This record gives sequence, C-alpha cells and structure tokens, in this order.
Amino acid sequence: MTAPADPLDPVRAALLRAAHTAADEVRDRARADAQETLRAARASADEVLARARDRGAADGAAAAAGERVRAVQDAWAAELAARAAVYAELRARVREGVRRALARGAVPQTRLAARARTLLGADAHVTAAPAGGVTGEVPGRRVDLSADALADRALERLGARAAALWEPP
Amino acid sequence: MSGGPVGVEYTGVRELRGPLVVVEGVREVGWDEFATIVLDSGERRHGLVLDVDRDLAVVQVLEDTAGMARTGTRVAFAGTPLRIPVGPGWLGRMCDGRGEPADGGPPVLGDTRAAVGAAPINPVRREPPGEPVLTGVGAVDVLTTLVRGQKLPVFSAAGLPHLELAVQIAAQATCAGEAFAVVFAGMGLTHADAEFVRAGLAARAAARDLVLLVNTADDPVIERLLTPRLALTVAEHLAFVVGRHVLVVMTDMTAYCEALREVSAARGEIPARRAYPGYLYSDLASLYERCGRIRGRPGSVTVLPVLTMPAGDITHPVPDLTGYITEGQIVLSAEVHASGAYPPVDPLSSLSRLMRKGVGAGRTRPDHPAVAAQLTAALARSRQVRELADLIGRPALSPTDQRFLDLEDVFRRRFLAQGTDENRSMDESLNGAWDVLLTLPRGELGMIPVDLLDTRTAAREKESP
Repeated sequence: MTAPADPLDPVRAALLRAAHTAADEVRDRARADAQETLRAARASADEVLARARDRGAADGAAAAAGERVRAVQDAWAAELAARAAVYAELRARVREGVRRALARGAVPQTRLAARARTLLGADAHVTAAPAGGVTGEVPGRRVDLSADALADRALERLGARAAALWEPP
Repeated sequence: MSGGPVGVEYTGVRELRGPLVVVEGVREVGWDEFATIVLDSGERRHGLVLDVDRDLAVVQVLEDTAGMARTGTRVAFAGTPLRIPVGPGWLGRMCDGRGEPADGGPPVLGDTRAAVGAAPINPVRREPPGEPVLTGVGAVDVLTTLVRGQKLPVFSAAGLPHLELAVQIAAQATCAGEAFAVVFAGMGLTHADAEFVRAGLAARAAARDLVLLVNTADDPVIERLLTPRLALTVAEHLAFVVGRHVLVVMTDMTAYCEALREVSAARGEIPARRAYPGYLYSDLASLYERCGRIRGRPGSVTVLPVLTMPAGDITHPVPDLTGYITEGQIVLSAEVHASGAYPPVDPLSSLSRLMRKGVGAGRTRPDHPAVAAQLTAALARSRQVRELADLIGRPALSPTDQRFLDLEDVFRRRFLAQGTDENRSMDESLNGAWDVLLTLPRGELGMIPVDLLDTRTAAREKESP
C-alpha cells in the first residue's frame, strides 16, 4: 500500500514553479539592468573622454599659442636690446670720430670760438673742452660746442638712417 | 627727442619748486616750448615751458627735479613745441608717456619729425567715415558698430571693467584684412594696470602692429598732457602716410582732464566748471577731432577714448563735453556688471551715430541694420514691461509681455556675456542676436523684413526640427 500523496504537493510544485519563473524574471531584469548600466557607463565614459580630449586639446592649443607669443616677445626683446647696444656703440664711435677729427684740426678751434661769440656776444668767455671743441659762457647763458655735444647732435639728425645698422639691406 | 641746431643754454636757475624750474635771463621763449635740461652730472632731462614773464620762464620738468641743484643746471629751449620722429619705427615699441623707450630698445627713429600738437584735419578735406572696425566684442560690433574714422568714447565708472574692455578691443580689432595698427595711450595708469595692458597686448605687440605709450599714475602730470598728443601724432603718420587703418585707444581721459586742471591751476588761470579750465571743451576737441579720413589719402584714424565718470555722473564736465564732440558713446552699467555679465554694456544708453555708414551688405552682413534696430527696440519694450511688472506683478502680464520680460535676461546670457579673451566673429555675434530675437513671437519682429525672417526661421527649424 502506497503512502497517500501529500495533497499539498501540487501547491508546493506550483509555488516552486512560480518562484523559479519569478527568479528568472528578476535575474533577466537584473542582467538587462546591468547591461544597460554598463552601456550607459561606457557611453558616459566615452563622452567624458571625448570632452577631456577636446578640453585638453584646447588647453594645449592655448598654452602653445601663449608659448608662441612669449617666444616671439622674448625674441623681439632680445632684438631690441641688441639694437640698443648697436646704437650705443654707434654713438661711442661717432663721438670718438668727432674727437679725432677736431684733434686733427678738421674744424679749427678758432672757428668754433667765433661761433660761440656769435651766439653769446663778443664778451663771451670761451674755453677749450677737455675732449675737444669749445664751450662759451656769459653770465646766465652758455653754448656747448664740445666734441661730444656736436657728435650727439649729428647723430640725432641722422634719424632713421641709423636704423640701417639692424635692417636687412 | 631734441636735436636740431646749436642752442644757447641758460644757466640762471632762480628757483626749483616741486617739478618746476624758474629760469631767468631767457630771450624769445614761448609757452609750451620744449626744453632740454642738462644736470651738472651730464644727465639730460626734458621739460615744457609752463609760463613766461619778461625774462623769466617757468619750466615743468617731465622727470621731476629730484637731484637737481640751482648751480650747474643748464636749460636749452627748442624754439618750438615738442616734435617727435614719426614712422613705422614705432610699431612694436613700448614707450613711456613722452615717447622714451621703456622696452630696452634704442630711441625710436624716423626720418620725419612732426609736432605733437598738430592741427585737426581741415573739415573740407575730410572723407566721411565708412566701413567698420570689427572689435570681436559682440555688443559693440552689433549694436554700436565702430566705423573707420569715427570717435566713439566708452563711458564708465570706477570699479567697472573698462580697462579690460579697452585692452580686449585693442587686442582683437581688425579691418577686414586691410593693413591695421593700434596705438594704445594709457594715462594715469597704476603700475598693476600698466602691466595688465602690456600683458594683454603682448600678441599684438609681437605681431608689430601695436604702439604702446604708458603714462603711469606717478609720472608728472605735464607728461599726461603729452601722451594722447604723441599717440595721435604717431597714428596720423601711420594712417595718412604709411596707409594703415589705425585705432587709437586712449584711457583714462578723466585722468588726462585732471592733469589739465592741475596744470591750469599752476598757470594761475581762471577756473570754470568744477575747477576745470574754461577751454576744456576746445582742448578735448583738439584731440578727438584728429581722427577721421582724408580725401585722397589712404588709411584712417579711429579714436576710442575711455573715460570714467566720477561717481557715475554723466553730467560731469568730462563726459558731458566729450559727448558734445564725439559721435555716440558706449556706456558701461554698474547694474549689468552686478548681474555678472561682461562686458557690462548698457545697450539702451549706448549709440554709434555713424553706425549706418559702416554696416549692412558688403560691409558686415545684409541683416545687420535690421537686427540691430529690432534688438534695441525689443530691449526698450522689455524695460517698459519690467517697470509695468513692478507695479502689477508678472502673473498679470499678457503672454507676449512675459516673453518681453524674459528678453533682457536672455539678451545678457546668450548675446552680451562673452569671455575677456573671446574673439567673436561678426557671424557669431549676429547669430547670437537672432537667437535672442527668435524667443519673441514672430508678430513682434516687425522691423525685420519678412524674407529675412522667413530665411532665418526656416534655418532654425532645420537645425532643431
């Protein structure tokens, strides 16, 4: 005689089936969710990467542009300093040349003295300047015809022709 | 910057007082004459004749009288007001307010010398201004377009970013690919501001299309009177002889006017409004009227003076008299600045009277005049609606009025606001203006021709179907 079947077996089996089905559904949903989250995360990562790449490229371009401007500026500053040195050298050489010319007697001292007296009057006190040329003086007024003063005036009259020193021929 | 024939030097220094030297025994010396002062040590300084009485001349020393003694000081007068060499040698250079190099380079050289106080252009030889100078600043380019040969001031107040705007315009301005240069004259700038200007214009200086003259706040006031004149003299030669379009930015003109007041007081002149000299109007005109175009000559000189209105008072003599001479104004507003928008331009107080001559087909874009007019009208309506909303509340407004109420905010966010180093093309700026306008119902855009409106609306629908 077989033991009587448990009348709750079909219920248990149905419940188990339902539980399995529900579990499968939950697992499928979880899997789908996980895939979706992964896909969204990947998309977002790609986006962040692209944005970072763009921003990096922009920052790099800006930094490179800034660096280029700084380099051009530095080069220009160095060129200006070189031009200033060349101009100072020109001034020194012109002064030296005028001193030598006056020492040689290219312009007689008497002619410079006469020029000083024309400007200041016949009673002007004319003295020889240490580096050549003369200075004339009356009370309250003075005329500088020294070698260096004459050289400086000549250089200033040269104007843009002095720029030929650093401009391409 | 002296030179020329042998001059008599005067050695009778009667008095040294502050920046002034009183020289006695002088003959045939006139006002504003340029003087070279040689110290006993051989150091050379420069000055201007402030006053002459019989054989006494009062000379203001540009470098101050520190270290000078009554004996051993010699003063030579040039016989003329200051003359400077002019030419392309100025391009790329940075100098102090009287044109002496501040960049470590040699003196600026030029074959031609020009008097810095040159006369304004003869009215009958003027060519009417035309063609725009594009600044890359949307609010200026679209609503108050700067036209070649125009004088358009920026009215600002203390604390507003007018120096940033001036530097941005000087750094970005162009003339549609034609030969262009900027002469920037800074007057009474603090050392920090001077450095800001130098750094902001570095790229332009590196490209050798900038002349930078900076008079700092601690420099003598008489130098401040020379700085804009020097800038304009250099600009005139670059424009009318070399053939470039030149934009002269002069900031701050209020500091210049204060220097004028100080010198006028030292000369014992009768003070007029707020102690400024009575000739303030004609003095300002003698600067501003040096801009323009000359018939038969290439190039143009466009002037953009920047001035701060003391306490924001637009009736103060400096903005008041400037407004009489210039052709419009760009007004910066503390309220717009407080909202966080840069540049804080108040579009309804700003105006470029010559704009019509520089915009439209073949100059900027065919839709520009209509868009600018419609935007200004819409902003005026927006302001009226805001006043109405203050009285009756937003919910009581009609749906159309509610859109107008929101318009100013949209205008500031989508059109006005721009980075200090953002260089907007004319297309970008005008497209921004369209974006603002198209937030309004089509029926409210009656100043724009229908075909333009159709094209624009269709393009917009295509972009976002």
